Formats: sequence, structure tokens, C-alpha cells
Amino acid sequence: MKTPSDENHDLIRWLDGEMTADERRAFEATLQNDPELAAEAESMRQLSESLKTHLPAEMPVPHADFFNSQIQVRIAQMELDEAREREKAAESTAGWLSWLRMPWLAGAAAAAFAIAGLVWTQNSSNGTSTIASTYTPNPSVHAQVFHSSDAQATVLMLDGLEPVPAEKKIVGFRVHRAESDAEVATTTLFDENGSVLAVVALNAKGQPQVLK
Amino acid sequence: MKALLCSSFVLLNSSFCFAQEPAPVPAKKPATDGKVWGALVYATTDAAKLTGSTEKAPENQKDLSGRLGKVFTPYTHFEIIGQHVQDVFREYESWVVPSRDLFLKIDSKGPAAGGGMNLHLQVWREQQVLVKTDAVLHPGSPLFIGGPKWRDGQLLFVLDLAKK
Repeated sequence: MKTPSDENHDLIRWLDGEMTADERRAFEATLQNDPELAAEAESMRQLSESLKTHLPAEMPVPHADFFNSQIQVRIAQMELDEAREREKAAESTAGWLSWLRMPWLAGAAAAAFAIAGLVWTQNSSNGTSTIASTYTPNPSVHAQVFHSSDAQATVLMLDGLEPVPAEKKIVGFRVHRAESDAEVATTTLFDENGSVLAVVALNAKGQPQVLK
Repeated sequence: MKALLCSSFVLLNSSFCFAQEPAPVPAKKPATDGKVWGALVYATTDAAKLTGSTEKAPENQKDLSGRLGKVFTPYTHFEIIGQHVQDVFREYESWVVPSRDLFLKIDSKGPAAGGGMNLHLQVWREQQVLVKTDAVLHPGSPLFIGGPKWRDGQLLFVLDLAKK
């Protein structure tokens, strides 16, 4: 039995266009039999439309170059601080007995910090790609992440996806470069000869459409 | 670029039509944080079921089939259907579109320690987002994404950060 929170989740996914075709049909059938839910859906749809009408789809970041440069400066500072911490930890290894003179809790915290730092360092800076988090909007899809040493690759396995119909023809592109136009929220894809292969445009719901 | 879009392009939902002509070079190239190679791969156990695509892996991905075979068992044949070399824009989203059926959106989150790059990735199947993820990519350490089943095999997505 579905709970109200399940219905809200379904409603949001329906409004965001994140449902599969089967899920959408099932949910729309539910809407027809549940006037209260249908009214809520209509109310949320109107609110969403109103927000889209009154708020610009994209807002330019003021002083974006400065903003980006400040973030990069901050990242560089953090990396420098972490490098200094590691050096300090290495230097203090020989004199680790001096930790005994520290309060027990502070010593444990310092050790935990050093271990966490070591783990973080191994995961993020040994040249191996990592995945920090995953989110699958469709609850029937599960993301599984692991590293394959044999393949020297990080693997993100998506289980529970609907199969692509066998009769569907999948045509590939060989894209050499792309240009983005922020004004009209489009990206044009070019082949190696400079000819246009396709255009990626966002629709009113923010979903991409690959137009050929 | 706008000149390539026909005048019926209204509010992004109208139909597009454009000539297959070289596009004008933009006056100012946007800032980038790096470059990625993305590919859509069809994995199958039966060579007779391959699509006949002529796409070849680039020089630095020559052992791709072998590496994929170590992860995606029982598949034995891996065929590149489409591929895309893409700059990762610093201020804009970047799209890696080796096919209109399965593609990636990338937002750069800046450089990572050890020559890597922090990225927010979204895998899209047409107009449906399959997964959103935060990742740190390093050159030579590709991300393999196991996608939907197709025919008697499976569609895979490979993303690798290019060396600077």
C-alpha cells in the first residue's frame, strides 16, 4: 500500500518528468481515480508553471570570473594545508610517545585525523577515480559503485533500468568539439570537419533534447 | 551559431533545421578545466550481433575491450557505437553525447589533488535522468557505467579524463 509520502514522491517525479513511460501511465491512472491527489497535482503544476514564468531559467553569476578564481584560491589553500598536515604527521611519527603526555581524547582525535587523512589521500590523490555519492531518481534503479583493480577502472553499475527496446536503432556520433550558448541554453556538437552533428537544447522542464 | 538555427526556433521546443555547413569560429573561447573522452559501447557475447559500427578507440584506449571484459562478464565483444571528445567548461555545463539515446551532463567542480578533476555527472537516457553523481576523475582511470540492456547485450558508457 502506498503511503502519502510515496504519493508525494511520485507526484514530484511525475512533475519533473522523471518517470518511465509505464510509471507515468500508472500514475496518471491513479490521478484519475483520486480527485484529492489530482487537485494537489494541478496545484503543484500551476505553482511550478508560475515559478518558471516569473523566474529566469538561468541567471548570470555576477563577477563569475572573480567567484571562480576565489574558489580555486581556496581549494589551493586547502590542498596546501593538507600537505603541511601530512608533513607534520610524518615528522612527528618518530616522537609519537610524546602523545602520551597529551590528554587521551586529544591523542585519539589526532590519530583518527591522521588515519582519515591517510585514507582520504589514498582515495583521492593516487590517480584512481572515485565516486563520492550517487542519486537515482527512479527508486527501482540502484547504483552500485566499486573499483576494479584488474580493469584499473571505477565502475558505476545501474541495476533495474528498463531495457532499451531491441528494435530501437541506436545511432552513434563522433563528436570532435562543442560550443555552448548560454543565452539560449544550447550546445552545438560538431564533427572533425566542423559540420554540425546535433544540438542539445533544454526544454521548459530543464530536460535535454538532442536535436538532429 | 544562432545563424545555424532556423527562424522557427522558439522557446527551445520548436523543431530545428540547419545546414550541414562549417560553423563560424566563436570570438571568445570559454574557459575550460580539462578535456574528457566519452564513449557509448555495446557489449555482447555474440560477434554476429554487433551493429557494424566503424568507430575505433583512440590510441590511449587501445586496451579498452580487455578492460571492459574484466568487469562486464559474460560479455566478450565490445563495440564503440559513438564517441565524443569534450572540453569541460568551467562556467557552463558540458554535454558528452556519443549518441542521442544515452549521454552525460558534466559540471566542473574544479581541480582535484593529483591532477584529477571534481565533477558532478548526470547520466541521461533521452529525457530521463538515470543517475546523478559526484565523482573525482583522474586521467587513465576511466569510469565505466553499466547502462540498460539492449538486444542480447548491454549498453555501457565510458568516461575518461584526458591528460593535460
